Amino acid sequence: MKFTIDRYQKILIFIIAAYCAFVGFVNPAFFSITTVFDIIRTSSTSLIFAIGLLVVMISGGIDVSFMAIALFGSYTTINIMIAYGIDNLAFAVGLSIIFGAVLGLINASLINWLKLPPFIITLGTQNLFHGIMTTFVSDKSFGAGVLPPCLNQFGRATLFQIQTGSGTIGLSASILPVVFVALATWGLINFTMIGRGIVAVGNDEESARRIGFSPARIRYYVYVWSGILAGLTGIVYVAQINALYPNKLIGGELPIVAAVVIGGAKITGGDGKVFGAILGVLLIYLLNSTLILIGLSSSWNDLFIGSVLVASIATSSYQERIRNRKNLIFTD
Amino acid sequence: MTNSLKKKFFNDINFTILIGLLIAAIVLSAIFLPGGMFSAANIKSMAFQIPEFGFLALAMMLSNLIGGIDLSIISAANTIAIFTAFVLNGTWLPALPEEARIPAGLVVAILTALIFGVFNGLLISKTSAPSLIASLGTMILFQGIGMALTGGVSIGNIAFEFTDFGKAEWAGIPLIFWLFLGAAILLALLLEKTAFGRKFYLYGENKVAARFSGINNEKVCIATFVMTALLAGIAGLIVLSRVNSAKVGYGSSYLLQTIIVCVIGGISPNGGKGRVRGVFIAIVLMQLMSSAFTMLSLSPYTKKLIWGVVLILVLSLNHWIRNLNDSIKKEK
Amino acid sequence: MEPILNVKNITKAFSGVRVLKNVSLTVNRGEIHCLVGENGCGKSTLVKCVSGVYTPDEGEIVLNGQRFTKLTTQQAIQNGVQVIYQDMSLFRHMSVAENIAIEKIRAKGARLINWKDVAGIAAEQTRKINVKIDLEKEIFECPIAIRQLTAICRALAHDAKILVMDEPTTALTKNEVSQLLTIVQELKSQGMSIIFISHKLDEVFSVADVITVIRNGEKIGDYNRAEINEKRLSELMTGREIDYPRYRRDFTENTPLLEVKGLSRKGHFNDISFTLRKGDIVGMIGLLGSGRSEIAMSLFGLNPIDSGEIFVSGEKVSIAAPQDAKRRGIALLPEDRFREGLFTDLKIKENVSSTVIDEISPRGCLDFSEEDRLAEKCIETFKVRAPSRETVVRSLSGGNQQKIVIGKWVETKPNIFIMDSPTVGIDIGSKAEIYEQIHNFAKNGMAFLLISDEVEEILANCNRVLILEKGRIKTILEAQDLRQPDAKKLILEEIGSRDLQPDTEPSTK
Repeated sequence: MKFTIDRYQKILIFIIAAYCAFVGFVNPAFFSITTVFDIIRTSSTSLIFAIGLLVVMISGGIDVSFMAIALFGSYTTINIMIAYGIDNLAFAVGLSIIFGAVLGLINASLINWLKLPPFIITLGTQNLFHGIMTTFVSDKSFGAGVLPPCLNQFGRATLFQIQTGSGTIGLSASILPVVFVALATWGLINFTMIGRGIVAVGNDEESARRIGFSPARIRYYVYVWSGILAGLTGIVYVAQINALYPNKLIGGELPIVAAVVIGGAKITGGDGKVFGAILGVLLIYLLNSTLILIGLSSSWNDLFIGSVLVASIATSSYQERIRNRKNLIFTD
Repeated sequence: MTNSLKKKFFNDINFTILIGLLIAAIVLSAIFLPGGMFSAANIKSMAFQIPEFGFLALAMMLSNLIGGIDLSIISAANTIAIFTAFVLNGTWLPALPEEARIPAGLVVAILTALIFGVFNGLLISKTSAPSLIASLGTMILFQGIGMALTGGVSIGNIAFEFTDFGKAEWAGIPLIFWLFLGAAILLALLLEKTAFGRKFYLYGENKVAARFSGINNEKVCIATFVMTALLAGIAGLIVLSRVNSAKVGYGSSYLLQTIIVCVIGGISPNGGKGRVRGVFIAIVLMQLMSSAFTMLSLSPYTKKLIWGVVLILVLSLNHWIRNLNDSIKKEK
Repeated sequence: MEPILNVKNITKAFSGVRVLKNVSLTVNRGEIHCLVGENGCGKSTLVKCVSGVYTPDEGEIVLNGQRFTKLTTQQAIQNGVQVIYQDMSLFRHMSVAENIAIEKIRAKGARLINWKDVAGIAAEQTRKINVKIDLEKEIFECPIAIRQLTAICRALAHDAKILVMDEPTTALTKNEVSQLLTIVQELKSQGMSIIFISHKLDEVFSVADVITVIRNGEKIGDYNRAEINEKRLSELMTGREIDYPRYRRDFTENTPLLEVKGLSRKGHFNDISFTLRKGDIVGMIGLLGSGRSEIAMSLFGLNPIDSGEIFVSGEKVSIAAPQDAKRRGIALLPEDRFREGLFTDLKIKENVSSTVIDEISPRGCLDFSEEDRLAEKCIETFKVRAPSRETVVRSLSGGNQQKIVIGKWVETKPNIFIMDSPTVGIDIGSKAEIYEQIHNFAKNGMAFLLISDEVEEILANCNRVLILEKGRIKTILEAQDLRQPDAKKLILEEIGSRDLQPDTEPSTK
């Protein structure tokens, strides 16, 4: 399978490019390497979240607990590190990922067992995970001073630096996990049997079962993968903001869902591309951060994002409906 | 137990359990919170608190009964309240005489709710978009409208007559509670005794079969989302009246709670099954728990944990009952 | 001969209804074994037991000498069982090539997927059956015939020892069918065993070595092709000499209730014109994709037409939705009664009243006693066998469920009743009762448009037949044509499934 850009992605690229051109026209300062590096740095956590969620959505599920998992993983890990004086980035990432995997496993088990809409179940576990963490781990905030220094080092690390008129600007190392996760997930979906199983189950569970895939097992892979990515993102996030709070991230799930949907993933499953999800996040991110540059207050963010989301849902659902009706398939 | 008795018991098991839970909650709080829970003051304060949440829960119930979910209710409630507040404080229609502001505000509230409801209904029924994702879009959109108008600040300074309503009592019971009770009874009658209610349940049970039975699915869907928006609007007005102001983002924690209440109240998330009375009892139950939490001065985190545990527990219990039910049927 | 598959005394029940009763089956290596029986006789259930999708309640399956009481899909596949299901089991958002190759690659235990292999496997299989398909297209963009070919290629790709084909030819053109049957013969010569399921007897006779007849979940017997003929076989399938009473229209009034002129929808049907008069039962028959269900949906407001006119009782109407059709006195019994016809988790009475909710709600309030009355009437009229009107529809047998669907539409007092495959999956007793009711209603002036796959059904009920091909009306047969002794042969020839002559003519007459 070659990497291809489909028609929908072309439209997204066109919209993003047109919007950038407009912003740059109104405010030429937008066109700078600083902007690009800035976008990369600040959108990195959203990108990893979105890629994790994409895998879940391709399998026909949904997850709104990934922020809670990210918080649980990173907060608990760093608490342990502070308590035992550990200062090792690999340890932080490793342990947070393990927490993420375990929580993902819990999600998958509940979905497999209860056979209820994953939205409701993961909404429950979102609160459960966050509640367990704040009740049994801790609910204190930690400032930069007490955090293991390795985190901040990673948060500030740059791959290379460029001299610009207003000083030096570097490409954040946060891009590394994003690139790694994007490639790994793309590879997982497109080149592994598990990945094809995920697509198969998302398309049609019964047919997937007939050719020997186990939907229940596939769901374990999917939610564990999503949990692992969330665990990783948690650490990246803390490293970037250089502080640890017990109540951050939570509540930011739905914009990520929106980004993945705008990126072309079907909530009914079976379809969705990593590159699409990245474009979706970028579009939302641009709308979120650049309105000020064109003279609108940031209060207009949601209006723009909501409109784009509704338009994207309406067109893609309507096309699907027309195609189904043409084949005399009725879904509602 | 004889077979028929067994059957009767299991037919209504959800309601039986609910009543049991309610009694248990009352007994427990009478034992452990003597004087606190059932003091006249607390009962009255609960009666003041139930309606705003209760109306949102009824709205969620309607969307669940048609096999969907409406994530937009809370942002709709807030934005409707914002529109109304702008009329009530004279920002909009400043030429209006003082005494005409409340009627005009109500008209604006109703119109806004109608527009929001019709928009949701059209989006979902005409494009066959899954309601989860469609209402996520409109949630962000409605919130975006409110945000763009207010910039996130709360809109207050509204007419006294309006805020009085939220505090008014009749026969020693808050007027808004009477309103809620009346709405719940009306809704129960509408859903269970009328032609519309029957079509609504059939639509929730099997949308395709409803269409093939000559039921106007689009009409039922739009009507449902209009009712949802109206109920949400009433919740918004009650909040406006009680706290004297309207603001984007108020009550965002209600989303989870409305879903929990519906699940506890016996509403199947797959649609078609469940009754208003179950949800009503679940709402009261929820309020008892909330009050108890406040009296025990639990942290918001502990509450979260408990809500998460409750949701997963109830889902598991339902699952268990369903299995038991099936095995009984098999025996037959 | 060496048996490769031995099914021993299998019984399988669903919610108390036994769909397979003590069925045994032996398939030898290199044998083409045809499984015949009417729709809903249990053939498909038997196949699902053999492929491990269902676990039989009793009995065992011996595959390659290995005994299984709980055969899993995995084990079935490992032992070389490949099934082409009627619904094809394809993945909409995967390419044709991947759909063909994925099962083979998966079964090899590969952890990674090599797209060159995928393309290679797909190309090889399409070459085998000598067709050209765009392998890169995703399935949801492909027409039904391509999907069918993809499903066949997929099964071939897998190194099958036993290939089960469940009605594989329904959507294929004549050429494709004969191609397929040639391939089947070739596979046999390579030593593969093939279980071929069909209710088209001509196909059966052209390929079968052994024919097993199943009726009502029971095995009637195994027959060598040479020892049996078509007539005998169809008797065995239906359980008796076909003797449904024939319908005869005796109205003299010929003003049309429904008149259709030049109805067209791109890709579905073209220039369809016909009329339904009082008491007419007009049959519509043709291959899948000939446009029959599409026309029915258009008349019911579920498939918008591009051009043409519809007249109901002489008045030109536009039918944009089922509620319009209902208002005009048009009823539709849909093909898929579980998804489209019934609310399976609801009670009989709630199903019966679902079409007349407004009619039984004076001033908008449901009249529950009227609802009960309608349900009782329906149960009585159609002899529905159910404990009470409160019974949940899911627990009824197929025949009784179908009576409920008919009953709920009869409540609307339609003038025109469109029935799409009304007796699929229904036992013979209920079938006869349903025919009787159709005749009664027709004699009272209702007009029927009856879509069916079964020529016998058409002959027993219709006084006129429209034969469709590729979205056009190819032939119209009138009552006098249908009374000819060779009417059945004539219809089969016209449908186009009759050009495959068995290579040895069984002794007829």
